[in-house]
Amino acid sequence: MKRKTIIFGLVAALLMTVCVSKKQKEQTISISGAFALYPLVVTWAEEYKKEHPEIRFNISGGGAGKGMADALSGAVDLGMFSREIHQEEKSKGVWWVGLTIDAVIPTISANNPYLEILKQRGITRDEFKSIYIDGSVSDWADILKTSNKTALKVYTRSDACGAAETWAQFLGGKQENLKGIGIFGDPGLAEAVVKDPAGIGFNNTIYAYDINTGKKRPGIEVIPIDLNGNGTIDPEEDFYESFEGVLKAIADGVFPSPPARELYLVAKGKPEKQAVLDFIKWTLTEGQKFVKEAGYVPLDQNTINGYKEKLK
Amino acid sequence: MLFKRILFDKIMGAWMVIALGTILLLPFVIGVGLYIKSAPLFQHQDIWHLIGTSEWLPHEGKFGFWPFIASSIYVTLIAFIFAAPVCLLSAVYLTQFSSPRLMRVMHPVIDILAGLPSVIYGVWGILVIVPFVSNILAPAFNTTSSGYSIFAGGIVLAVMCVPYILNMLIEVFNTVPIGLKEASLSLGATFWESVKHVVIKKSYPGIISAFGLGIAKAFGETIAVMMVVGNMVQTKFNPFEGGYPLPALIANNYGEMLSIPLYDSALMFAALLLFVIILIINLVFRYFIYKTGER
Repeated sequence: MKRKTIIFGLVAALLMTVCVSKKQKEQTISISGAFALYPLVVTWAEEYKKEHPEIRFNISGGGAGKGMADALSGAVDLGMFSREIHQEEKSKGVWWVGLTIDAVIPTISANNPYLEILKQRGITRDEFKSIYIDGSVSDWADILKTSNKTALKVYTRSDACGAAETWAQFLGGKQENLKGIGIFGDPGLAEAVVKDPAGIGFNNTIYAYDINTGKKRPGIEVIPIDLNGNGTIDPEEDFYESFEGVLKAIADGVFPSPPARELYLVAKGKPEKQAVLDFIKWTLTEGQKFVKEAGYVPLDQNTINGYKEKLK
Repeated sequence: MLFKRILFDKIMGAWMVIALGTILLLPFVIGVGLYIKSAPLFQHQDIWHLIGTSEWLPHEGKFGFWPFIASSIYVTLIAFIFAAPVCLLSAVYLTQFSSPRLMRVMHPVIDILAGLPSVIYGVWGILVIVPFVSNILAPAFNTTSSGYSIFAGGIVLAVMCVPYILNMLIEVFNTVPIGLKEASLSLGATFWESVKHVVIKKSYPGIISAFGLGIAKAFGETIAVMMVVGNMVQTKFNPFEGGYPLPALIANNYGEMLSIPLYDSALMFAALLLFVIILIINLVFRYFIYKTGER
């Protein structure tokens, strides 16, 4: 008899938790994916909670690929995504909104022996292509036409990520075409480049610059891209000294896209949860004022209005 | 009353059989699951073609697994070459020559080494081993290397295997009856001769199984190796170049699985390959143990 009561009690308790958690679930927004967008989404979640204390957030990183995989499998409400959305993904029913822009920039160590020459002449897209895609350049002297030779060491990302895919897209390839030593994660790649004076790599802007000081992180230097290919870095191509300069160049369209790229939130079909839709709407309106201070470039108003239409 | 007791007894017996059966079934279930998941890949390409070729371009539908298999074997081999002699000699010293006090100090040291999460070995590899390979080892061999290489992976793996192999070897040597050694000594053999001809000979099967376990563990190690090995798809047998072992392939790319056709099957096939290779390693070592036990 006693046992029966206990069992009934347990079943009742279970049913109650199911009901409660269903309500809670409606108020919880789970997000995972790209490291590039992660800091901004965390900031947004904190600000949003000040106005809507009943909403709970569950945010994790893991890379753009994971964001897409999780969103498509329904493991999360929204995936953070940091590269162009492929046709295969669109045909699987991906729904997306763009939120902001950042860029992938080529980086070298501050101890690179050719730093001064590089800052004056930059590297053109074709030269990057011969380094990263063709693999035809094995020495800094091949690019810079100097007499003293230093073997060039190419670094790339090993994990499936938006940064590498966007960088490859700039050079006309896919991540799998990028040559070089694969390092796991954005901070790891920055570390490897800083430590190797003969190395070359690429990073998300937010990992190359320090938001608080607005300068490049210690030990890291940015290679200016010779956009017009005339062999020197003209004053209008020289905007890499401060974070602000780079962000302005991206916003003005001086810095090409790719490697500048839109950052997205993706889901499998239009989200049904009202809480999720409200949050996205908020990020596209009031949320936009936190974009700049978090170190990203805001979208122009027309694009934002286009995405707002998708929410209706 | 008696009936109830017999029934209870039977039920308890059945539970244990079920528990045992589950454990026996597990490898089988995992293997079949991986095979079913990777099956779509076989419809497009011949399995030997998949294993034998070395072009890896998932977007173009080219899945060549040879660079990954070769890297895995290569890294494991280097780790084994470093770890095996060190473990064997230190196990012999600890059990036969050293004072019991040293042994008491060693046990916690081994436990700590075995208990460290592999990501710590990975970070340590990046901070210490990678610069060591790049600045000291590569110039000594008259080449240049960024340090992110098969060699670095091998060294980190060797350090990770040491506690496992060493622990087993110590257990193995401790089971050799003291009487045997005393008999050998009483016949006029020196201490070293007794160790060599009695203790080590008697423990052959144990030594082999310790090495087997170490190799199987090294083969499947993921994070620490991935962080230092360079993740380059290539088949040049230069230990100072990067490699790309199978576990790293799976860990790096499982996120991209859904966006490229057949990619998920390819990664499942990588897992299946890993599973089969470790199975083969285990079978081979089982056979050795059986053979030496027979003698």
